Amino acid sequence: MSELLDHLLATPLLAIALTLAAYFTGDRLFRLVGAPSWCPPILVAALLLAGVLALAGIDYADYREGAGWLMLLLGPATVALGLPLYQQMGRIRALWRPLLICLPVASGMAALYAVAIAWLLGASPEVLASLAPKSVTAPIAIGITEQLGGSVALMMGGLLLTGVAAIGFVDLGSRWLGIRDERLLGLALGINGHALGTVRAFEIGPTAGAFASLGMSLTGILTALLLPLAWRLPGLVG
Amino acid sequence: MAVMRGFLWLLGFLLLGDVLVTLTGLPVSAGVAGMLLLTFWLMLRGTVSRDITAAAQPLINVLAMLIMPGVVGVFFILDTLSGQWAAILGALVGGTLLSVFTTLWLMRRLIGREEPGRE
Repeated sequence: MSELLDHLLATPLLAIALTLAAYFTGDRLFRLVGAPSWCPPILVAALLLAGVLALAGIDYADYREGAGWLMLLLGPATVALGLPLYQQMGRIRALWRPLLICLPVASGMAALYAVAIAWLLGASPEVLASLAPKSVTAPIAIGITEQLGGSVALMMGGLLLTGVAAIGFVDLGSRWLGIRDERLLGLALGINGHALGTVRAFEIGPTAGAFASLGMSLTGILTALLLPLAWRLPGLVG
Repeated sequence: MAVMRGFLWLLGFLLLGDVLVTLTGLPVSAGVAGMLLLTFWLMLRGTVSRDITAAAQPLINVLAMLIMPGVVGVFFILDTLSGQWAAILGALVGGTLLSVFTTLWLMRRLIGREEPGRE
């Protein structure tokens, strides 16, 4: 049995098939239970996948090596977000001034709140470095975490939870505050919930999706530029 | 074939972004550089080819699936993080709650007001 498994894991095919199967099963289950917005299909899919790997006795490192082929597509997928960005350029341009103020403040807050809370609750420096880029899209966040000396696995888990939480809280917040403007919802989802929030924003509508792409990419760029600098400040003082 | 031609375009911009990031040392990922280059190029051209749409849309739709392999890793390091759970969960959930509300509040103040006059 384990020999067969080793044989199948020699190519990336099994890892890719498992990921796809978990994704579509998660999506199916999600729809079966009435598509609750507080529990996105990706959370179900990730739990399923982790369960299958654990049950089948597949080492995560082996799985990751194969599924890395799938993650390679994150590059072209990020580039693809340039398309909705272009399509909504007119609306984005009309708002350039408020966006110029909102985006740096909001994306800075996304990192600051998390680091401050974790620090107050006594997290180790490694954990702090893994949580700081929690609202940044995966391909950029991996680079930031490595630079700060955090754990990529913890950061990715944090990314999932942040995405899920952001989707839920934007839903809640928009109802409380009575916000229906797709541009606002999209921005809030993209800035706080990276790719997962952006996917959710496209479900709301194309305008929300484009503003989420904008929020996600600018949060990524700003955080990548500023976080490593901000990280050195406490070191200078101490 | 349109999908493959479009995919080649996306790869082209990704590689171009990679070259740019590597040469200039900008702390941005190749994907984001490629995305901005693509946006810029589409603005210059003023239209989107059907090839690019055919490749971009499906990729955007499965964005969430593409980060799954990395995300699942956290379930396998759970025991190394014992004792820090309160800090981690508090930071992720509490931090996201605060930042979502800050964002919505700030945006509504700045953008919500501009709305009636502009559109």
